[in-house]
Amino acid sequence: MTLQGWVPEIGEFLTLAEVIDLAFDYRGNTTVVRADGTEIEGYVFNRDREAPEPFIQIFDAAGNGPMRIPYSEIRNIKFTGRDMAAGNSWQAWLERREREKVEKAARHETGPA
Amino acid sequence: MSVPLSQMWTVAAYVLKQKLSRRERYPLVLMLEPLFRCNLTCAGCGKIQYPAQILKKHLTLEQCLKAVDECGAPVVSIPGGEPLMYPQIGELVDALVKRRKYVYLCTNALLLKEKLEQGVLKPSKYVSLSIHMDGLREEHDEAVCRDGVYDRAVEAIKEALRRGFRVTTNTTLFDGASPLRMRAFFDEMMGLGVEGMMLSPGYSYSKAPDQEHFLRRGRTHDLFSKTLSNARKHWKFNQSPLFLQFLMGKRDYECTPWGNPTFNLFGWQRPCYLLQEGYAEASRS
Repeated sequence: MTLQGWVPEIGEFLTLAEVIDLAFDYRGNTTVVRADGTEIEGYVFNRDREAPEPFIQIFDAAGNGPMRIPYSEIRNIKFTGRDMAAGNSWQAWLERREREKVEKAARHETGPA
Repeated sequence: MSVPLSQMWTVAAYVLKQKLSRRERYPLVLMLEPLFRCNLTCAGCGKIQYPAQILKKHLTLEQCLKAVDECGAPVVSIPGGEPLMYPQIGELVDALVKRRKYVYLCTNALLLKEKLEQGVLKPSKYVSLSIHMDGLREEHDEAVCRDGVYDRAVEAIKEALRRGFRVTTNTTLFDGASPLRMRAFFDEMMGLGVEGMMLSPGYSYSKAPDQEHFLRRGRTHDLFSKTLSNARKHWKFNQSPLFLQFLMGKRDYECTPWGNPTFNLFGWQRPCYLLQEGYAEASRS
């Protein structure tokens, strides 16, 4: 399961702090929507909600940073970037490998065209 | 245990100094990750799952050395990513040797032969090339998700040994590993002439895409007991025999995350190499 493409609805059942935790765990770029409506796309690599002024840290999509954004300045975080951890399982590789073996054997049996 | 006396002495003297200073929590091995980029995409690895702009970045040499000085640990392990893809790997290792740090350069060895031929690395008692080998050819190529890697690594090990380098192996055992095949693998590695072997269970790592093959505690004890019982005399392990007993379930230890701090592009990883709960600006944090 991936959060790719998800636009959280922050409210009674989902807090901003929870969304930030999910963004911290997410292995892809997100778009941070600031309270003033401006947006920054990048990779959220850190968050500290225990700090006197809780904050996130982000490298933007061009790799600039790190930038620190206080929780108080964040309205929402959208999971806009590709999830780099999705679809890379060992099982997927084993299946691909088996498929390649079968294809190779089939080519060998057929011989050169 | 297969660690040179000078290294044992350095570590023992460091620990004694910490005890005399009544310092309860001190680092022993700094895990220095200069980059996350790698030339393999192993399914068990959670280190490479980052967007492109992060994978393109690396620490500067100055950032690496500042972290080493700040941490003060006598041993520096350089994993990654693939550290041989770090543009200043030669300078980094040279600078660490000048500081008399014992360095474990953890590599998949795909670039090793080329780097040795270019003279990027120099043999030293302070430098051990720690080659990632997860078993015999079939198991290793399966673990790294690419055929032919085992053979290239063996070739590079032979070349490094021929040039006088200290060479060790590091092996992660995942669920489903065969104790008999692992024992054959130990014979094979010792036959190549490596200084020692390091073993580790595939610790559950929440960021890794493949969650099914991590070992849980009971399976870890069972697998390592079967693999290491009646160990052959010529097997040498580059780690404490007490740790091997721990893996076999004969001994228990408390977790000491401060012993193994990690520094990378994001700062000091909290609380340690294996767990990623956030980052701090200073190693003491």
